[in-house]
Amino acid sequence: MASVTYDAASRIYPGAERPAVDSLDLEIADGEFLVLVGPSGCGKSTSLRMLAGLEDVDRGAIRIGDRDVTHLKSKDRDIAMVFQSYALYPHMTVADNMGFALEIAGRSREEISRRVAEAARILDLEEFLDRRPKALSGGQRQRVAMGRAIVRDPQVFLMDEPLSNLDAKLRVQTRTQIAALQRRLGTTTVYVTHDQVEAMTMGDRVAVLRAGVLEQCDTPLRLYQEPVNVFVAGFIGSPGMNLAEFALDDGHAVLGQARIPVPTAALGALSAEGARTVVAGFRPESLELVGAGEPGAFPVDVTVVEELGSDAFLHGSLPDLPPDSGTLSDSVIARVDPTRPPAKGERVHLRIQPGREHLFSPSSGRRLPAA
Amino acid sequence: MSTTIERRRDDVGTPPPPPPPSGALRRTSDWARRAPLLPALIFTIVVTQLPFVVTLVVSFMDWNAYYPDERGFTGFSNYASVLTDVNMREAILTTVVLTVVVVLVSLLLGLGIALLLDRRFRGRGVVRTMMITPFLVVPVAAALLWKHALFNPEYGLLNGTLTAIWRLFGSDDAPQPDWITAAPLVSVEIALIWQWTPFMMLILLAGLQSRPLDVIEAARIDGASSWQVFRYMTFPHLRRYLELGALLGSIYIVQNFDAVFTITSGGLGTANLPYVIYQTFYQAHDYGRASAAGVVVVIGTIVIATLALRTVSTLFQEENAR
Repeated sequence: MASVTYDAASRIYPGAERPAVDSLDLEIADGEFLVLVGPSGCGKSTSLRMLAGLEDVDRGAIRIGDRDVTHLKSKDRDIAMVFQSYALYPHMTVADNMGFALEIAGRSREEISRRVAEAARILDLEEFLDRRPKALSGGQRQRVAMGRAIVRDPQVFLMDEPLSNLDAKLRVQTRTQIAALQRRLGTTTVYVTHDQVEAMTMGDRVAVLRAGVLEQCDTPLRLYQEPVNVFVAGFIGSPGMNLAEFALDDGHAVLGQARIPVPTAALGALSAEGARTVVAGFRPESLELVGAGEPGAFPVDVTVVEELGSDAFLHGSLPDLPPDSGTLSDSVIARVDPTRPPAKGERVHLRIQPGREHLFSPSSGRRLPAA
Repeated sequence: MSTTIERRRDDVGTPPPPPPPSGALRRTSDWARRAPLLPALIFTIVVTQLPFVVTLVVSFMDWNAYYPDERGFTGFSNYASVLTDVNMREAILTTVVLTVVVVLVSLLLGLGIALLLDRRFRGRGVVRTMMITPFLVVPVAAALLWKHALFNPEYGLLNGTLTAIWRLFGSDDAPQPDWITAAPLVSVEIALIWQWTPFMMLILLAGLQSRPLDVIEAARIDGASSWQVFRYMTFPHLRRYLELGALLGSIYIVQNFDAVFTITSGGLGTANLPYVIYQTFYQAHDYGRASAAGVVVVIGTIVIATLALRTVSTLFQEENAR
């Protein structure tokens, strides 16, 4: 058990102009479950592989506990990794797969079989111990890969998209199991995924990466409620946040018939930048259906209604937009009462619940101070 | 939405598919396709299968060109003499020794070279091509090259090198062994190993490059050293490729004639089965016995080839199962 520290760690692939991972600074506490998330090519897997010793660290350092492991070989780092493909040893039985690391470490036969049996019991793999990986289903292979990691009782677990080869239902189920297992073992875990739902549900903290740069690292709730910039705001949440560029007019953000009051602090920051527009974002659940005459109400033409049972999401477009209204997501998504969803083609009026909008600078994309 | 679907439905006016042709018609068209292939098929049967049948028949006959009057069927006596004749038995032993030594040594060398070529370095493509060239040389040319350009005690490269090294240290009486006389079978083996190592290397390199990389990485993270990765991951993966190389190599080396004929002419205990068959046929003119020995070689080769094919098919099954 140990903490993990990325200290301005960078990876620059030979021949590449831009670093794949650019000065990553990250402190992962002992026993923490940290999720690295981002779109493909953002450097999340590379960051994990740097910690695993499978990629060189070109600048900066990586520490596990107090040990500097920057230039240590994988085998000397005391880590275990679960691969996306599981990477099971094809010619070995499940038991041999799980016991391989202990055998290499020269443990006694009794100890190996005791620890393998224990891991198999935890993961419900006891009846498969004599099978080869070929004869297992995807979910069972995934559990063997987990078993191979927990048998070792390492200082850190590394998981590289371990659920992406499972079907949707099994993925949700296994997601919970992995999170529960990690809580029980209390082993520091770094988990890579491109799926923001996985990130939000599993992580103690979530680190959002884009193009090799760490954008924000925080608890799932704070990422959702206070995204530091437009990218994080748009990436976290499903369905995504509505983001559009609004014109500034007399202390209000204006787009078509929608008018949102802008707090003074934000106005001050905007005028300091000399900005004449502001990027406003609001989550689907921050919108409410209101009557046409209500203050702040703006009309929306309903194009699609997605009914999920527990929720219904309205997809609509803003009518009468001036053609030069700039960057604007062409549809607005709002969560509506699933028992009384509006009809397709209807014109409804929506209002942003006061104080639940997110304002960002149009030039830097950073979050503007509220209040 | 609904309008597009309706419009689509309107212009989906494709004609119904033509009715399937009747049986007779289909048979005619099948033959129209097969007929042009027939001459090639007949030619293949005539040049490959008929000679074998003739050989089989002759192997049961007493047929020696020196005794034309005694021609006739004798049953298994040719096979009995092939298996009991001292020369034949020695030839079988020589064949086995030659095959085993050449296959094993070229496999080992091929494995070593393949492991080196599996690493990334500048000019790897060029080096790989250069390493393959011995396999591309005509076997007789290769054997002649070894016999005259390398092994020759008077002007061969080996003794020339020895002389040069001894000169370097100021000595004029470098040892000048007569390589082929001193170690005839080893000389033949060396020439064959030189030619077959690239073949083994190619097969093993293909095996190495089909290794799943993530499994190797997983083993490294599990604490395995480079040697342990080779021992527990690479070697089990290569096992089938090693078997394939050994079996394909065996099929060819068992039949080798060029090297033995060219380098030693079968002298000094280097006569293998194909060479003895050649002698029995062209020098003793005992067609019956030569045919029987030929059939023995074919049966031996079929046994090896069956094993080889089985290995190849399991290899494919495993690739598919992945």
